[in-house]
Amino acid sequence: MLPALPFYLASAFLIGASLGVVGSRNPVYAALFLVLAFVSAAVLWLLAGAEFLAMALVVVYVGAVMVLFLFVVMMIDVRLAVLHRSFVRYLPLGVLVAVAMMVQIIAALRGLAQGAGHAFPEGGNTEALGTLIYTRFLYPFEIAGLILLLAIVAAIALTLRRREGTRHQDPGRQVLVRKQDRLRLWRLPPHQASGEQLPASAQREDT
Amino acid sequence: MLAAYLAIPFFLVVAAGIGLFALAAGFVLGPRRPDPRKAAPYECGFEAFEDAHMPFDVRYYLVAILFILFDLEITFLFPWAVSLNHIGTAGLLAMVAFLLVLTIGFIYEWRKGALEWE
Repeated sequence: MLPALPFYLASAFLIGASLGVVGSRNPVYAALFLVLAFVSAAVLWLLAGAEFLAMALVVVYVGAVMVLFLFVVMMIDVRLAVLHRSFVRYLPLGVLVAVAMMVQIIAALRGLAQGAGHAFPEGGNTEALGTLIYTRFLYPFEIAGLILLLAIVAAIALTLRRREGTRHQDPGRQVLVRKQDRLRLWRLPPHQASGEQLPASAQREDT
Repeated sequence: MLAAYLAIPFFLVVAAGIGLFALAAGFVLGPRRPDPRKAAPYECGFEAFEDAHMPFDVRYYLVAILFILFDLEITFLFPWAVSLNHIGTAGLLAMVAFLLVLTIGFIYEWRKGALEWE
């Protein structure tokens, strides 16, 4: 069913990139390898007919989440040597998680093989998904919207803080300024000696 | 279905070709006179003060998180737009309600000044 050559190519890239994520000493490189892993996984999903998931993976994970990952990598300021030591320390836990995931995947695949079959939907995966989301799963969809709203409020509440004493321009107020607010015209009578005080006869001329 | 995506491998090959060509041209045509002083770290006339891994300001995260949220919003728009013929008025109104909820969030972040950089 799957075209063989693109499948093996994308799988090889996925495995190689995953090894790069775990193995690279520079965390920024690890994050970039993760981008490659995501793109390879998107290709695999595309080959399996899951067009919408592939698109979402590229748009959401590669486009947005990885930007955040890179910022986090910059933020936590990891020391490379410490990272290398913790690799060995967390290896047993990682193996445990990998085995658990493997068991789950095998169980899921067995369920598929026993007849919970799937076919390529008419008109493509995206259309089938949309038809389901916006009719049968309408309520969860609206809840998803509310969760997103909650996330917006939470993100702002957690990270937004005003910095005191910063100077910045306000273009709106700059545009609204009038001549009367800024400019004063003085009519000065001609006089000769320099360095004198402003003569009392100088009058303010109203603008 | 997959034939529609045939342009992507071609695109990848062309992009890689252009990148490799630029690198190879620089490698072949460029003069190379290595000098230890050229390879030394240099920062405006001083030795480098620190390495490039500087902690970011937290407000970059705010921008990134808000971007992710609205990115998710547009992801919901794709299947909606494709299946608009099947989902009827209810589906249309559902998306209107969804967008309204997120517009509330957008107005909130705008009024709160989260989009201002100062």
